Amino acid sequence: MDFYLGLAQIIGIHTLLGLSAYCVLLTGQVSLAQAGFFAIGAYVAGMLTVLAEWPLIPALLAAAVIAGAIACAVGFPALRLRGLMLVVATIAFGESVRLFFFNFDYQITRGNIRVGPLGGEGFRQIRYFPEHGWSTLEVLLFVWMVVTLVMAALWWMDRSRAGAVLRAVGEDEVAAQSTGINITAVKVSAMTVGGVIAGAGGGIFAHYTTHIEHVQFGVVLATFAIAYPILGGLSNVFGTLLAVLFVQGFLIEGLRFLGDWRNLLFGALILLAMNLRPRGLLDAGAIAALRRLSYRKDATGA
Amino acid sequence: MDLLDLIDTIQSIADGLLFGATYAMLGIGFTLIFGVMHKINLAYAAASVGAAYASLLILAGVKAPPAVVFLLSAVAGGVLGGIVYVVCFRFIPLVNPLATLMSTVGLLLLIDEIIVHETQGVPLAYPALFSDVIVRAGPFGLRGDLMFVFALGCVSMVVLLLLVYRTRLGLATRAVSQQPTAAQLCGISLDQVNGFTFIVTGVVGGVAGAMTGAAIGMLSPLLSLPLTVKGLIVTVIGGLGSIPGAIIAGLLVGGFENIFQFLRGVSERDLYVMLLLFAFLVFRPGGMFRTSSARE
Repeated sequence: MDFYLGLAQIIGIHTLLGLSAYCVLLTGQVSLAQAGFFAIGAYVAGMLTVLAEWPLIPALLAAAVIAGAIACAVGFPALRLRGLMLVVATIAFGESVRLFFFNFDYQITRGNIRVGPLGGEGFRQIRYFPEHGWSTLEVLLFVWMVVTLVMAALWWMDRSRAGAVLRAVGEDEVAAQSTGINITAVKVSAMTVGGVIAGAGGGIFAHYTTHIEHVQFGVVLATFAIAYPILGGLSNVFGTLLAVLFVQGFLIEGLRFLGDWRNLLFGALILLAMNLRPRGLLDAGAIAALRRLSYRKDATGA
Repeated sequence: MDLLDLIDTIQSIADGLLFGATYAMLGIGFTLIFGVMHKINLAYAAASVGAAYASLLILAGVKAPPAVVFLLSAVAGGVLGGIVYVVCFRFIPLVNPLATLMSTVGLLLLIDEIIVHETQGVPLAYPALFSDVIVRAGPFGLRGDLMFVFALGCVSMVVLLLLVYRTRLGLATRAVSQQPTAAQLCGISLDQVNGFTFIVTGVVGGVAGAMTGAAIGMLSPLLSLPLTVKGLIVTVIGGLGSIPGAIIAGLLVGGFENIFQFLRGVSERDLYVMLLLFAFLVFRPGGMFRTSSARE
């Protein structure tokens, strides 16, 4: 049972990561920096609860704010670039963050052990949950509470004017600009919101695993972050959730019985999904079909 | 810094420049594909490493001379390039840039996993030519295998430049990269030219994979992600779509990374390469040789 609870936790954390990339992708920007913001959130939250002995929620808020501030600072120079240039610049930013933590030592002595991040060995002993007697189920509820809050906020934003503005910039920048939208402000805000979500997700991730190290936050995690919204489709936030369930629940855990062959199938299934559904699993067409289906049910029921 | 340090520094720059030839080749591949299709092929470096692996695995058990292994790697690269085009680009609508980005990521993971599956993740030794030769020039020594890799890179680049600028196929490729619609109106088949470009860049990648293997002395699936990142950095520093830019930027990145490996150690090395990239993005966002087709 604990295994499934743990799986549900990791699905929640990856949903946060995917949603952070979803915000940025709505404006048509491909950002591979999300793993970097995720790493910043993980290290900041971990250091606050372990070294400064803060409670969890202020530490997560601080992690989200710091990651968001860095995302905003990165956004200004980076979003002058487009397409391939932006992809490369954000990959380079994410890798620089990873390499920074690879070379980052800050340890203090607590009792008879030394705690804190130690370069290549990583940051051990982030034991907030066990020390404060949280059960796995409580952690799970906490994770999904955060995910629900973020999804509800994004769902609301999507249906408000802000969502329309983001999508307008994503569809056609020139047209959006000519209707008086300040595209730099829109893109930087999207980047900042993405950074905040990724920072909070990273903070939860650090406390979930209790041990973080730089290799976890590499290019692979960054491509996963953008893979979720692209695979799921950008029509609404549930596409991302669906893709996380597909990837983490089915491809990674569900196919474990295949052993070594699972990893082979993983790349092949992504390829197949993109060839068959280039606009994502839950694209506009699929949503329209679902609507028609529910409409017909209503009609026959009435 | 005394004289000995100075000599060591210059030596490491020279070694880095020689190794930079592999980065230059990868940069050319990324740049050519971007030129004709305005798309990124993230599976490119993985396919290059895969081609080098394929040459080893096909000749496993046969005691083949290194030259044959290199040639086979180039051929395998061409075949893989064609496969990449069909699997990741041919049937996906081009108006949707995210879909091809994702499909190449899928292929990157797939190629890496096939390599791990076939070799149980153990690095394989790769043959090198002239590995016992060291050319001495005063206090400096140049490794024979690196010089061979550099020479091979130079020859391939010259052949590629001749192909692009002196043949009808190259003319068609350049026409498509400048103005696809007009090229189509002149009777050039876009699919054919795109497929041809992928095969040619695949051959370049196969040679680059073999060069990497020969220069490092071994092959590992862990190579493909760092090579992807370095290749993309070279492409951006050189200017998107510019072949001479990719060559010069490749050598620059190779020398730059080796000097910082010598001065600051291997764990901080890549941090300085990223800083070089950021400097270029801020002060010269178009890269060294900005082409008109990169104005997107």
